[in-house]
Amino acid sequence: MNTKCCPHLSVFKATKGLEPFRIIHTYFISCTSREARKRKAKSCVCHTCRQARPRLHSCLSCVYFGCYGLKHIQEHAKSKMHNLAIDLTYGTILCFACGDYVYDTEIEHIAEAQQKIAEQWMGVTNSFSAWEPTDKEVELLQQNPKRRRLTANSTIGLRGLINLGNTCFMNCIVQALTHTPFLRDYFLSDQHNCQMRKDSEQCLVCEMSRLFQEFYSGMRTPHTPYRLLHLVWTHARHLAGYEQQDAHEFLIATLDVLHQHCKGSNGLSNSNPHHCNCIIDQIFTGGLQSDVTCQQCNNVSTTIDPFWDISLDLGPTEAETDFPNGIDKFEEPTSLTNCLKRFTRPEYLGSSAKIKCSICQSYQESTKQLTMKKLPLVACFHLKRFEHSTGYHKKISTYVSFPEELDMTPFMSSSRNHNNGYSEQVIREAASCLSSDYKYSLYAVVNHRGTADSGHYTSFVRQHKDYWFRCEDHLVIRAKLEEVLRSEGSVATGIKLAVHKVKQMCSNNNNMIFL
Amino acid sequence: MFFYSIQERKNRDAQMRATINQKLVVSGERDKLKELLRTRLIECGWRDQLKQHCKEIVKQKGLEHVTVDDLVAEITPKGRALVPDQVKKELLQKIRKFLSEQQQS
Ligand SMILES: [Zn+2]
Ligand SMILES: [Zn+2]
Ligand SMILES: [Zn+2]
Ligand SMILES: [Zn+2]
Ligand SMILES: [Zn+2]
Ligand SMILES: [Zn+2]
Repeated sequence: MNTKCCPHLSVFKATKGLEPFRIIHTYFISCTSREARKRKAKSCVCHTCRQARPRLHSCLSCVYFGCYGLKHIQEHAKSKMHNLAIDLTYGTILCFACGDYVYDTEIEHIAEAQQKIAEQWMGVTNSFSAWEPTDKEVELLQQNPKRRRLTANSTIGLRGLINLGNTCFMNCIVQALTHTPFLRDYFLSDQHNCQMRKDSEQCLVCEMSRLFQEFYSGMRTPHTPYRLLHLVWTHARHLAGYEQQDAHEFLIATLDVLHQHCKGSNGLSNSNPHHCNCIIDQIFTGGLQSDVTCQQCNNVSTTIDPFWDISLDLGPTEAETDFPNGIDKFEEPTSLTNCLKRFTRPEYLGSSAKIKCSICQSYQESTKQLTMKKLPLVACFHLKRFEHSTGYHKKISTYVSFPEELDMTPFMSSSRNHNNGYSEQVIREAASCLSSDYKYSLYAVVNHRGTADSGHYTSFVRQHKDYWFRCEDHLVIRAKLEEVLRSEGSVATGIKLAVHKVKQMCSNNNNMIFL
Repeated sequence: MFFYSIQERKNRDAQMRATINQKLVVSGERDKLKELLRTRLIECGWRDQLKQHCKEIVKQKGLEHVTVDDLVAEITPKGRALVPDQVKKELLQKIRKFLSEQQQS
């Protein structure tokens, strides 16, 4: 952006300073009080045609308001020789002498600061702001003139992975991670600032960075991810040589090591593990609310715990029958929504699991309910298809359907019924599906084929907006959405890593972003 | 036969629009909706699409010759047409909800 000020604005600044701009901005653009907004609502009309038309501008010299569409601000500028005006919607400055909007660093700083305050007022956090290259970045861009534009049918970002001997459990997770939009934006914009300087060879985050470079380099030959595997195994020793080699465990271990290696990037993470703001936590961490209600006095005690993924039970449930109010026994869930309903239903803890009630001052029977307090940017669901107990491994192969778009509204803590006593499923169905604050869109699915003891992992990943690919180690094959949604349909199945986008895009305006 | 004045009808609509707009501004709801709209348009790729279109126009006309007015004139119809129905619906619903809440209080 051209931040060199135009001569007219320079002269204006030199004689009148920045105050006129600041005042107009505070009063009419980024209002932070009801008073200011009242004034704005009343006075933001064109002084000539008396209408609240779009593209209203204010004269910087005399605070005349004129609309642009009917040329009232233009006429004012001409007749009064007042060359500078502020766009009252965006706060940009129009110079009539130059015939263009002009930009000035000092003025932009004021506007930015004002905007921040206004956002805090509105309760908006992490609002999107367009990428502005720093001087350093401009320099780098000039030194490296080669650009790569991604078209909708580009296959860049797709790469097979060599199987290093039963490492499909890792390959399917790597495919899901490399297609996570927020992670991709983070790594491709080179935002990792290594905390293991002396030993960056050992840093898994650095290795992920390299992996993303490999995936998006345009190379088509399969990549060999041995360094990644080696690093995860070195840092998560419990996994090394683990015979079941489970994709879900690998995912959690990888996230954990990545989070460990990010630490130190902010002061908080070391002192309080629940308030880490490393990239992994920013993307994957949600908050699970647990409400335990004493059956005696109805006192509710609430705790909130962070989570990276939600593990969902399959198969029919037992132990439901002794619920005092006779809750419906849960049939074997056959859809993700069913699984989530089951996950968030109040559960009677039984007479053998009494909990100390702080009001009754004694151990009482209680019910417990889990709901989503805070949703992560990426929601990862794991269907517990494997039952491992001593001597036997069993796999539950029931088909579980899942949607391309998932609405989490019914499972939010805010949807919880606050009536005491959980006589029925207290989750309210989403009254209206129009609001997409809690909506997620599917971008990766991991499947397992075979038995609990031996089997094979594959994955589906979404590229751009709606191209799906099936990844099986070194093979990457175009797939249809129906295939993805039907996967698990046969007896073959495994972990499902249903994941998502939505809430906000942390990305920049470059061509890499296709959601 | 009954006829009503079209001009009067238009005036009343305009008045109504101004009143609603004022309510939205005073309550701060307008800024919130604007922020929501912005987020939705970014999410659905609208922003990227329009940006690309602008770049093409600039390239076609040459950076030196293109004016903001040119861009606005060319982009506006396209920008309007590209807003997904679902986004419009969501906003409309939010405005309705806001107005019914206003009436109640
Ligand atoms: Zn006017
Ligand atoms: Zn003036
Ligand atoms: Zn100028
Ligand atoms: Zn590092
Ligand atoms: Zn972290
Ligand atoms: Zn109690």
